[in-house]
Amino acid sequence: MVTIRKPRSTEGLVRFESVTKRYGNKFAVENLSFEIAQGEVVGFLGPNGAGKTTAMRILAGYFSPTSGRVILDGMDLFKEPQRAKRHVGYLPEVVRLYPDMRVREYLRYVAELKGIRSQSIPMEIEEKISLCGLTDVERRLIGRLSKGFRQRVGLAQALIGDPPVLVLDEPTTGLDPKQISEIRALIRDLGKRRAVILSTHILPEVSMICNRVIMIHQGKVLASGTVRELESCLKDREAIFVTVPGAQYQETAEGILSKISGVENVRVVERHENEIQFCLETAQDEDLRPEITKFFVESKIPVLEIRRDQLTLEEIFLKLLKDGWFQQRTKIEAKAET
Amino acid sequence: MAGSNKEQKSRQKPKRERFTKSKSTLLNDLCFPKFCCAHGGREMRKVFAIARKEFGSFFHSWTGVMTAVMFFAVTGIFFVILTLNFAQISMDPRSAGLSSFPNISQTHYVFGSLFLNLNVILLFLVPLITMRSFAEERKHETLELLFTYPLTDLEIVAGKLLGLIWFFEMLLVPLAGYALVFYWIGGELDWGPVLSAFLGFWVLGMAYLSAGVFVSTLTKSSVMSAVGTFGILVIFWMMDFAPMSGGGGVSVVVNAMSPLRHFRNFTYGILDLRDLVYFAFFFFYFLFLSLRSIETRNWKES
Repeated sequence: MVTIRKPRSTEGLVRFESVTKRYGNKFAVENLSFEIAQGEVVGFLGPNGAGKTTAMRILAGYFSPTSGRVILDGMDLFKEPQRAKRHVGYLPEVVRLYPDMRVREYLRYVAELKGIRSQSIPMEIEEKISLCGLTDVERRLIGRLSKGFRQRVGLAQALIGDPPVLVLDEPTTGLDPKQISEIRALIRDLGKRRAVILSTHILPEVSMICNRVIMIHQGKVLASGTVRELESCLKDREAIFVTVPGAQYQETAEGILSKISGVENVRVVERHENEIQFCLETAQDEDLRPEITKFFVESKIPVLEIRRDQLTLEEIFLKLLKDGWFQQRTKIEAKAET
Repeated sequence: MAGSNKEQKSRQKPKRERFTKSKSTLLNDLCFPKFCCAHGGREMRKVFAIARKEFGSFFHSWTGVMTAVMFFAVTGIFFVILTLNFAQISMDPRSAGLSSFPNISQTHYVFGSLFLNLNVILLFLVPLITMRSFAEERKHETLELLFTYPLTDLEIVAGKLLGLIWFFEMLLVPLAGYALVFYWIGGELDWGPVLSAFLGFWVLGMAYLSAGVFVSTLTKSSVMSAVGTFGILVIFWMMDFAPMSGGGGVSVVVNAMSPLRHFRNFTYGILDLRDLVYFAFFFFYFLFLSLRSIETRNWKES
């Protein structure tokens, strides 16, 4: 395993200080502040368009924020970008590489651009090729590689120069299950000596890889905490999905469902030609399915399907936002920190 | 900086290594501004890496080869026609409406005209060379990663431009062959104007390439980039047709801005500092515009 040099300060390797990115009147990221230490794997969670990618692009040095600072290992990323950028490896959401270059040739190019001394380039490339499992394809054109391999080339390119900070934007999307588990294992391994920031909207992935989670919504940090803390909050809510045939039952069914005690937030999730699916939220400890079925049978509404499931991340987000849970939570955390 | 060898060393004796390292980089930063000597050596290497990649990409596809072949064919035909014309006139000056022959300079007739014709070829050649430089990267979205590497925008643009200039210079080399052929078939070459015309063509080409790269930073499509570059170059070319006098102030300005007018001096064998300054300004002005153009990623929503 490669060695990473010690950070200059004992504080977080990465520090966002009230970073704001604004396009006209639209805030992509607003007043974002957090800190990440070495040896941490931090997951950015949030619905699409929450500002994850913007935050990661800022951290990767792709563009500068409208205001605020990003401190990387004691250096201001936008005051001395040349030096600071050497400390970041970035894997974009969609890995775009030069299709007409060969894998080895491309990695050599990246190593040159990252300013690695020419004597150590061959060793560096060799190491990354074997680490990312690219030995078989190193002479092939990148344009001809499968998506999984291209993702690995992307990862290899981020790892060149052994940056202590890794920024991975949705590293597992579009991969097959075997590749996903391989990449996850690799990230866990890499995270032991680095600061890794990865974004995802797959909930189980977070618990598998990350030590800590930062939740972002509309460009703001909603909550941050360890995976366990997060999970304990999420697990006490569950969803029940009820499918009935035909639009004529919609109002009656809605009426019945909202009358049952313990049921919250009834809404239509899907609407097909002659199928309507409702989603309702309940607490985890009680199973309301028998009761719901009973009421439906009494009012002679046929039920096509009734299913109990965990809430998806988006649903939890909406729910928790509505409840103001995050605000309370962040207040508690702020108190604990001070 | 972060070579593995050095890292392993620094792990063995961390304190000493770190101290000397930070001291030396501090010294470097203080003593050497960017792009010079010890510190700049690494920066220049990055520029060369980009230039090599850019130059190499001409040979990954047929674009580069086709461009070169087209250029050689056209210049070759021009050269042969001009030489044959000259031979005909020299045998029978009256056919060309000339009373006496010796007034015509061989060099100027063949090479002066050749280079002035090449100027028109350049209008088609430059868009073909520059169209892919940034447009292709924007299309494949590969710029995103490029901007996250420890590179300044200047290094990126300079590297790209340098690679294109290399390719253009490669096209110039066989042109020297025409001079040799002319010499070999018994032409009396006046080397001064030929060399200065070469220099002028080289400088003109670089200035046009800079303009082409700027247009390429504006669009995602290679075709748009080529058409745009062609348009700009044609406008500059047309400035040559403005009357020298009679148009008042406008005509003076347009004449002063015409690249062809400045280039023509070179083909006469006149080396004027003003012409060189003009082309340098042309080159750096579009380089500056390219830098501004790729900077827009900081405030423009992609």
